[in-house]
Amino acid sequence: MEKDGLELEITELRLGLPGRDVTEKMMKKRGFTEMIMTSSGSNSEQCESGVVSSGVDVEKVNETPAVKTQVVGWPPVCSYRRKNSCKEVSTTKVGLGYVKVSMDGVPYLRKMDLGSNQGYDDLAFALDKLFGFHGIGVALKDGDNCEYVTIYEDKDGDWMLAGDVPWGMFIESCRRLRIMKRSEATGFGLQPRGVNE
Amino acid sequence: MNYFPDEVIEHIFDFISSHKDRNSISLVSKSWHKIERCSRKRVFIGNCYAINPERLIQRFPSLRSLTLKGKPHFADFNLVPHEWGGFVHPWIVALAKARVELEELRLKRMVVSDESLELLSRSFASFKSLVLVSCEGFTTDGLASVATNCRHLRELDLQENEIDDHRGQWLNCFPQSSTALTSLNFSCLKGETNLAALERLVARSPNLESLKVNRAVPLDALTRLMSCAPQLVDLGVGSYENEPDQESFMKLMAAIKKCTSLRSLSGFSEVTPLCLTAFYPICQNLTSLNLSYAAEIQGNHLIRFIQFCKRLQRLWILDSIGDKGLEVVASTCKELQELRVFPSDLHDEEDNDTAVTEIGLVAISAGCPKLHSLLYFCKQMTNAALITVAKNCPNFIRFRLCILEPNKPDHTTSQSLDEGFGAIVQACKGLRRLSLSGLLTDKVFLYIGMYAEQLEMLSIAFAGDTDKGMLYVLNGCKKMRKLEIRDSPFGNTALLADVDKYRTMRSLWMSSCEVTLGGCKRLARNAPWLNVEIINENENNDLMMERNEEDEREKVDRLYLYRTVVGARKDAPPCVTIL
Repeated sequence: MEKDGLELEITELRLGLPGRDVTEKMMKKRGFTEMIMTSSGSNSEQCESGVVSSGVDVEKVNETPAVKTQVVGWPPVCSYRRKNSCKEVSTTKVGLGYVKVSMDGVPYLRKMDLGSNQGYDDLAFALDKLFGFHGIGVALKDGDNCEYVTIYEDKDGDWMLAGDVPWGMFIESCRRLRIMKRSEATGFGLQPRGVNE
Repeated sequence: MNYFPDEVIEHIFDFISSHKDRNSISLVSKSWHKIERCSRKRVFIGNCYAINPERLIQRFPSLRSLTLKGKPHFADFNLVPHEWGGFVHPWIVALAKARVELEELRLKRMVVSDESLELLSRSFASFKSLVLVSCEGFTTDGLASVATNCRHLRELDLQENEIDDHRGQWLNCFPQSSTALTSLNFSCLKGETNLAALERLVARSPNLESLKVNRAVPLDALTRLMSCAPQLVDLGVGSYENEPDQESFMKLMAAIKKCTSLRSLSGFSEVTPLCLTAFYPICQNLTSLNLSYAAEIQGNHLIRFIQFCKRLQRLWILDSIGDKGLEVVASTCKELQELRVFPSDLHDEEDNDTAVTEIGLVAISAGCPKLHSLLYFCKQMTNAALITVAKNCPNFIRFRLCILEPNKPDHTTSQSLDEGFGAIVQACKGLRRLSLSGLLTDKVFLYIGMYAEQLEMLSIAFAGDTDKGMLYVLNGCKKMRKLEIRDSPFGNTALLADVDKYRTMRSLWMSSCEVTLGGCKRLARNAPWLNVEIINENENNDLMMERNEEDEREKVDRLYLYRTVVGARKDAPPCVTIL
């Protein structure tokens, strides 16, 4: 699997609706399937027709090929419903929302109420308990030495390393958490530290 | 009929309420046209830019109820820039100036400001009903004006609007003397609600039939509200993410039991399984159920609930119900007419085993013979399934199928879904609305053009091979009114083939297709009665118009054209060019 090829495509995706510069008609139609980062790794062609709604990263979780949500306005669910679907965590009230927590290698998602934690230490402990795994907490506190990194998706759709911003700011903007193997994280496309505010 | 005095003819016309029929009447003769227009109370305008308020008022001086629609449908999916247009203000200004005795205003996808609402509330003494759907631009301050000044307000229905919630006291603004409310829906408000004011308002509104509260109304408040409004027919509840204690639960259930008129239930942005069970006593009376916002509730709880709802006619649900759940619906809800199954997982987080497939759809079609409206998001489909569905349910009026992955073929044969959709249009002779998805070639459009004689609205995405596809539709579907296309290889040839066709249509939308600037310019030249709008958020449009001929080949991002009797609109933002 071409992980490196993956990140190249991410940077080459253009922020525009498909069809602007496509030369071939067939490519037009297959344009979407070419956006799909399949595990076949046959992405030698540039995905010029790729459309990325700003901030959404292509997330490659093990082998599942289909990436359904990379196109603006697709699937055709109206924006009110998208915003109010419970999967989006409400940030108007601290602690009101549960965030989904996924961990590489674990087949099911967990949910946790961020607001019930007092700080990053608490969170580390809670995560350990959630997955029954004693390494995650270390990831938060002592990032560089751990097998795992803890990242979160903020309300702009960007993936950030957990632990950098003040706790209050973190729970306001965190939409979901992911515990990812350090080895997978390097090509992932994390926002560099300090990019926001 | 010409021997009758005008008043008699007018009285006869009173019995005719459908817009289509009244439009037909007005074409019969000059005298009928005059009688009809002077007596017309309700007007529906599907595109607010097709006409202007002055001409509307001139033609229908007795106007009491106005329905206006603004942005094109694809605005729902963020394909239309925020500032595109659809402002209601000039309409309210004109109606106020002409002293129209407006009683009812219904708006969809329009921009409404607090100023507009204030003006509305002060200008029409008999104003009774305000319905806003998918609108934006206003705050709770605007609602406060309406509550304060509209003394005869009966209906305030806010559906899926983007409202800036100033957490003010708008509910307090309803005067003590206001007792006429029949319908109050503020489910889309995000902020906290003055519960005491709400309870007082409900208590003094004996005619209240429809009440839809927002997330911020907790369980105990809901219990009190239901206790003082047992006459409710339509209830939208709030968000209940915590299990109630024993006492609260018993009280809630007791209050619910008293609401024997309840037929419609919605809301539930979060609901615990136990909470849901409190509603079991009234399930058997329900004809309409909307659980499509309850993302956290698992399929088995949904299924248990629905098993009690034997009289359901309308069901909106999430795909977490699964195929098994839909089989239960099929065996329980024999009266089902409308089904909407929404995707619960929009971020592709899980390999979603519980999402629905063709199996669920086939089960529904077999079990629910009265089904006529469908919106179905699924992860896969087959031709065989669609053919079976067509055979089981030839009565579809609305059929919208969305396979989540674009261009996905029949997963058992790897073929396109042309035959499946072809079977639908051939069997369902009354089909008025159709949305396509999956892998589709020009052939599906050949079928649509051939068979879909009543089709009025068609939505196309990632489909077709050549201009022939679009041409089949334009030539074949005589009743087409709204055609919306995205990411499909249709170009100038199809666009320009029959310009007069657009006289019979309300609008055409094409985005990320093959039409070029040159083609659009040519169309605009040949059809001055059309507004041909090019939407291009990425560039300065002055630059665009200065370019030389070579750039006529530049593809157009988004094209929106519509017939109009009042020419180019003056309120277009910079990103919109009207050719």
